[in-house]
Amino acid sequence: MLPFIARRLFHLIPTFIGATMLAFLISQLVPGDFFATKALEPNVRPETIERLRAQYGLDQPIYVQYVRWVANIVQGDLGLSFSSNQPVTNLITRPIQNSMILVIVSIVMLWAMAIPLGVYSAVRQYSLGDQIVSTVSYFGLAIPNFFFAQVLILTIFVVRGFTREAFDYNQVLLPVAGMTSNGFEDMTRFQQFRDIAWHTIMPSFVVATAGIAGFTRVLRAQMIEYLGSDFIRTAKSKGLGARAITYKHALRPAIIPFVAGIGGLLPSLIGGAGLVEIVVSWPGITPRLLDAITRQDIYVVLGFLVISTLLLMVGNLVSDLLLAVVDPRIRYS
Amino acid sequence: MKRILFSLVAVAVVSMAFAQPFVWPNAWTVAEPGEAVTGGTFRDYSISDPRTFSPVVSAEQNAMIDTIDLLGASLLTRGPDSDEWIAYAASEFSVNDGGTVVEMTLRDGIKWSDGSPVTVQDYYIRYLIETDADAQSNAYDSWFLNEQQIQLEITGENTLRFTFPGPDRLAFPNAALLPLPDKIFGEAYRSGGAEAVRALWGTETPVDQILTTGPFMPVQYAPGERLNFVANPYFGEWNVDEQGNALPYLANYNITLVGDADAALNLYIAGEIDTFGPRNLDDIGVINVAINNGDIDAVMLEDVAPVANSQFIVFNWNLASDPVKQATFRNPNFRRAMAHLIDRDAIIELIYGGSADPMYTSVYLVNGYWVNPDVPTYAYDVERAVELLALAGYRNRDAQGFLTNADGVRLSFTLATNAGNNQREQIIQIFADSAREAGVEVITTPIDFNLLVDQLFSTGDDRPFDAILIGLRGGSRDWPFGDNVNLCTGGLHMFNTSGSCIGANETLVDQLTKVGRQTLDTEAAREIGFQIQQAEAEQSALLYTVSPRAHYSWLTDVRGEHPVEFLNPLLGSRELALTFKAQ
Repeated sequence: MLPFIARRLFHLIPTFIGATMLAFLISQLVPGDFFATKALEPNVRPETIERLRAQYGLDQPIYVQYVRWVANIVQGDLGLSFSSNQPVTNLITRPIQNSMILVIVSIVMLWAMAIPLGVYSAVRQYSLGDQIVSTVSYFGLAIPNFFFAQVLILTIFVVRGFTREAFDYNQVLLPVAGMTSNGFEDMTRFQQFRDIAWHTIMPSFVVATAGIAGFTRVLRAQMIEYLGSDFIRTAKSKGLGARAITYKHALRPAIIPFVAGIGGLLPSLIGGAGLVEIVVSWPGITPRLLDAITRQDIYVVLGFLVISTLLLMVGNLVSDLLLAVVDPRIRYS
Repeated sequence: MKRILFSLVAVAVVSMAFAQPFVWPNAWTVAEPGEAVTGGTFRDYSISDPRTFSPVVSAEQNAMIDTIDLLGASLLTRGPDSDEWIAYAASEFSVNDGGTVVEMTLRDGIKWSDGSPVTVQDYYIRYLIETDADAQSNAYDSWFLNEQQIQLEITGENTLRFTFPGPDRLAFPNAALLPLPDKIFGEAYRSGGAEAVRALWGTETPVDQILTTGPFMPVQYAPGERLNFVANPYFGEWNVDEQGNALPYLANYNITLVGDADAALNLYIAGEIDTFGPRNLDDIGVINVAINNGDIDAVMLEDVAPVANSQFIVFNWNLASDPVKQATFRNPNFRRAMAHLIDRDAIIELIYGGSADPMYTSVYLVNGYWVNPDVPTYAYDVERAVELLALAGYRNRDAQGFLTNADGVRLSFTLATNAGNNQREQIIQIFADSAREAGVEVITTPIDFNLLVDQLFSTGDDRPFDAILIGLRGGSRDWPFGDNVNLCTGGLHMFNTSGSCIGANETLVDQLTKVGRQTLDTEAAREIGFQIQQAEAEQSALLYTVSPRAHYSWLTDVRGEHPVEFLNPLLGSRELALTFKAQ
């Protein structure tokens, strides 16, 4: 096992260099740079733009910029943001943390909803309930997250209209945007936790629904395969109850691919929840990344890419190792 | 309207009683005297986070830096009701030597938000840093007039002197200098130079370390979530209303940071923020429905005034590789014909739903004092366009009905704009449809914004574009004709970047812009401005399209906005110090 891990770690180096080189090259293919927009301000002289480009090293050849950037990364420095003149590390840390909250909660929600639904679909194969689960979960897969989030926001407003008419209560039942409420900083720790949890419900649900279809279908197929296997038949013949057979003997092996996939979730943890973060104004990675892309604040963009790449590589390694741990048939040498 | 910006008389002194607080006029707000209530929180929003808290080194300015810095103790200021500069942090100022020397005396009792006094050194250090190219200040360019640096010197314990290289209409914005804490920035600058200054007050700096002289001081910052301010207790010591009440009225000012305007609209409809700037008729519709449903109790002001920016089509005069096209683009009759093909009424109705105004000159419509109302408008007229194109040499038609010149070359060009800007994409399409009627082939291509800018700023005799629809923002109430745009050597002289004037009107605009900027008598400068717009219109190098109108909305318990005649994108909707929450 140890030589395998060492070999995999060694392989990460050329992979990382190749990925960063590609990312840097692509970032340079985009026309213009951060200061192109500034040039459109009537009060800014062209020589000022040139001076700023020189000060940020943008007048250097691409390979010089790349070598400098990689040399800095090796020293733990992801570079400087053009727009804020701040180290990229400072700018991306908090959005990554915020996105992780949303993604972790949505993964928990996904598992909490998908496992029972997958099991139900498997044991009630082709029943009306199975059909409904399939239809609804595919609806969740098909509807774009950003649109579903907007639909839920609209629903929240409609419900407010109802509560106002019925109970004279004119407040929204769930927050429609943001991660925290006004006055958050003055709350106790417990109140802060509750406030964030309250804000997380709607966007996490939106993100989770997108994964339910795939999860339930795979789990359903796995379960059906195991439920028809010899060891289940043996268990039944020994008089085991249906609940024990389903959850103890069939679900356990069926869920192995998902457990092994936990490592693969690492990059998605910082990949953010995509456009949902924009719609509900979640201060995560996507708004910051899109902002940086729009402004061509390339070192911020590349900073996110570097962290994603690292986590993807480590995540893949963890996945492989987890697979060996949970499935005794797999051994690395 | 008689307005003198600078007096050519030897000394013109505007005095205020020494050590007296600055009195904010009642005329700057709709509130009745004594109506304002103290306390409360104004919940504002911003689409993006602050890039930095440093007022001097940001590569771009944004609203939150404005809140911390620009509302502070500027030496001069001016209200929404007049373009005249008045003493603010200065207790008095004088203008001497034909407007080239401005002397200031600092008002007593101005303090930083930590209670330490503001001194003339705090102004001087800002000047030193902003004029150091290595500090990368946004304001660097504004300290140079005709390539010569404006000088500032400390002349006494509480006096400063600005010396300008010559008379200049843009002198007062420089003389309205804001302070910078010398004990922080000066110390860093003296010990570590510009680099040390650039490292100060980044967004990771605890906000309670950020000093301000403005009405609110920052107390909490959560990136991507909110920036909270409380009233600066020292501001009220030298800022009062006409009834003598200390300002600001509000106890707190909170800015919710949202990643997207739609999210801000949702927050507004949910009643979680107090104000929203509707972008278009869709937003207005949503807000009006919310008001009618009783979701929010809000004011909705539609079509208040034109926005402070412009949109125009520019043709490339530097196309050496295609002499026929270059000659066409340089022909005034061709450009006037194109001006006649802009169907502004259709643009206004189809794209802006009627919420826009036709634009004919470079001056933003909202800057009405400077707009020449008598310039040629080149009304939409396809027949007249065809006549002018005949004068430009395009008399024949090819098999597809397009105009050709004597050599059979079809009149065809590419019109680009920035992809993703739906309104601009629609404008170029409407223009192309009109041009087709006249027999002109216009190929519309939305392209990436940065590529567009690269093309626009390319220099030399052969630049890689035909025509572009783009806009400009930024401008001055003192002199709305930018050197960069109007001078033949200017970096934003988009139609001709050869470095020298080509057309007669181009030369005239160049000269008038130089003369006008140095004309201190406002009436005379305005007359020159009118001549510039006349020459621009005759030249038709930039074909102006339409100017959308701005809209405002806020919850009704937020009070103290500008009277409606002073409420527009140029003057803003309110003075934060005079804003209050009805209890």
